[in-house]
Amino acid sequence: MCESNKNIYLPNLVTIADIINETPDVRTFRLVFQDEAVRDSFSFRAGQFAEYSVFGAGEVTFCIASAPTRAGYIECTFRGVGRVTESLRNLEQGDTMAVRGPYGNSFPIEEFYGKNLVFVAGGIALPPLRTLICNCLDQRDKFGDITIVYGARTEADLVYKRELAEWHERSDVRLVKTVDPGGESSTWDGKVGFVPTILEEAAPSAENSIALLCGPPIMIKYTLPVLEKLGFTDEHVYTTLENRMKCGLGKCGRCNVGNVYVCKDGPVFTAKQVKAMPLEY
Amino acid sequence: MLNYISEQNLNDLLDQLIKSGKRVVAPRINSGTPLYEPLSASGEMDLKELPRRSAKETFFPVCEDILSYEKEGLDIKLSDVDPARFPETVLVGVRPCDAAAIPVLDAVFSWDYKDQFFLERRRKTTIIGLACTTSDDACFCTAVGLSPSTTKGSDLFLTPVEGGGYACETYSQKGEELVGNHKELFADTTAANPLPLAEARTEAFDLKKIKAWLDDNFENSYWDGIAISCVGCGACAFVCPACHCFDIVDEGTEKKGQRRKSWDACGFWKFTHHASGHNPRDLQPKRYRNRIMHKFKYYDDKFGQTLCTGCGRCIRVCPVGIDIAAIVEEISHK
Repeated sequence: MCESNKNIYLPNLVTIADIINETPDVRTFRLVFQDEAVRDSFSFRAGQFAEYSVFGAGEVTFCIASAPTRAGYIECTFRGVGRVTESLRNLEQGDTMAVRGPYGNSFPIEEFYGKNLVFVAGGIALPPLRTLICNCLDQRDKFGDITIVYGARTEADLVYKRELAEWHERSDVRLVKTVDPGGESSTWDGKVGFVPTILEEAAPSAENSIALLCGPPIMIKYTLPVLEKLGFTDEHVYTTLENRMKCGLGKCGRCNVGNVYVCKDGPVFTAKQVKAMPLEY
Repeated sequence: MLNYISEQNLNDLLDQLIKSGKRVVAPRINSGTPLYEPLSASGEMDLKELPRRSAKETFFPVCEDILSYEKEGLDIKLSDVDPARFPETVLVGVRPCDAAAIPVLDAVFSWDYKDQFFLERRRKTTIIGLACTTSDDACFCTAVGLSPSTTKGSDLFLTPVEGGGYACETYSQKGEELVGNHKELFADTTAANPLPLAEARTEAFDLKKIKAWLDDNFENSYWDGIAISCVGCGACAFVCPACHCFDIVDEGTEKKGQRRKSWDACGFWKFTHHASGHNPRDLQPKRYRNRIMHKFKYYDDKFGQTLCTGCGRCIRVCPVGIDIAAIVEEISHK
């Protein structure tokens, strides 16, 4: 179709430039658009997602895990849980797949300027926050204190180990990493305890602060009360929601939580918005 | 003013359109079932009964390719769909409940991202509506603000008159063009009296009151009771003029195939099922609740419209006898 009759479902071809095995079951792909014009013009905001294609298997939804401030590539991080993600795991460096997007809303990063940021993530839920963390670190002087509390079941399950090491080294970032009790190795140098517990211990100040939270439902359930206890109000706590998606752009009627379409009204929401939603996610 | 067309001339009009290469879609009996289908000749048209499925498939096919792919070494060649493929179409004999649903669907298919599969077909289609002179117990268009003579969605609207033929009126440029291009088939008459319209089967629902109850009653044991018999067959979604949920799947191998868009239904248990095993709508009452909510609340929240035109097909087709009109009416009394 010509430009004015653009096929909104037609994805852009990408080459898998690099594959990083984050954990035994989580992998990151670094993707480069094959069309030069797309490569030069593709832009997105932290929090947005895309639909990633493995032709023959289908499409799957992931956040764009790389920072918008880094040019020339995008990244996605995923675990093999179903048909399409298992097919993704069969792809190799140099293979072609496709991406369409970016879709959804984004973190209102401009509203965070001058504020302290507290990132709280668990397991494979670090990707949607990693894009924002890297975005902020690439513009470090725009923000106040940056605290990152991140944990996983075991040391092996921590994703972005390279970034964790970089953040650990920075004097302008406070990184608190933790593993669940029993998940530590003999050489583990971080905390031991569930993320909500460790967050409470770390007690970052809520003054002039925004909390950004991403994790499995059980972690969210126990973390929200901790944030409240620390003084964060629901309008100052952000999270992302996931849901089963197909079109990713508001038409197929699948991802709604009540009258909220996760693909259009989200995936970024404040805790206030989430608490107003019906329990359908 | 050209405001009348005889039955013979309507047939001639359709035959002329077919001969000129246009696709003419009209109610037609297919193995005993009335359906909106392409005609090869006007004589196939049968306007007596309401077609068993809606007219939405003229714009939103049951299944269609949205792209095709072929692997060549490490490269993949993607082929787009050419909108020139969509034929110029005249959709004839469309009942008000079917025609009125088309502009309702426009809202979702043009929400920010323009779905050209739907919109291009819309651009290329002229709709000739037809007033209803009969109705049955399942009809409830009058409950949702429509009637047997609603012209919403029609480019040209036909009302059967005494003595045969139809009074007609145009409601858009497309309708005017159609009449203008076939002036000789239309006449100017003030004599024809319309046949009595179909009996209204229901009073108007208080849609605002219904929505207000839905706004506040997501968690209400009412949902468990009404949907206990729903088996999640999806038939209601498929026959509905306004339901538009769809699936996107790849068919073929990793080397060669097509990506297809096809009808889906929120009544299916797998509709919202995550690969992790989590399902926000894991029980049938939750899925049925979504149907009512989407039609009488969410679509209004998002687009200011009700996603139901009271055609009654879901009531007629439901294998377990669930009656959406009765449910919504019951809600209006809460």
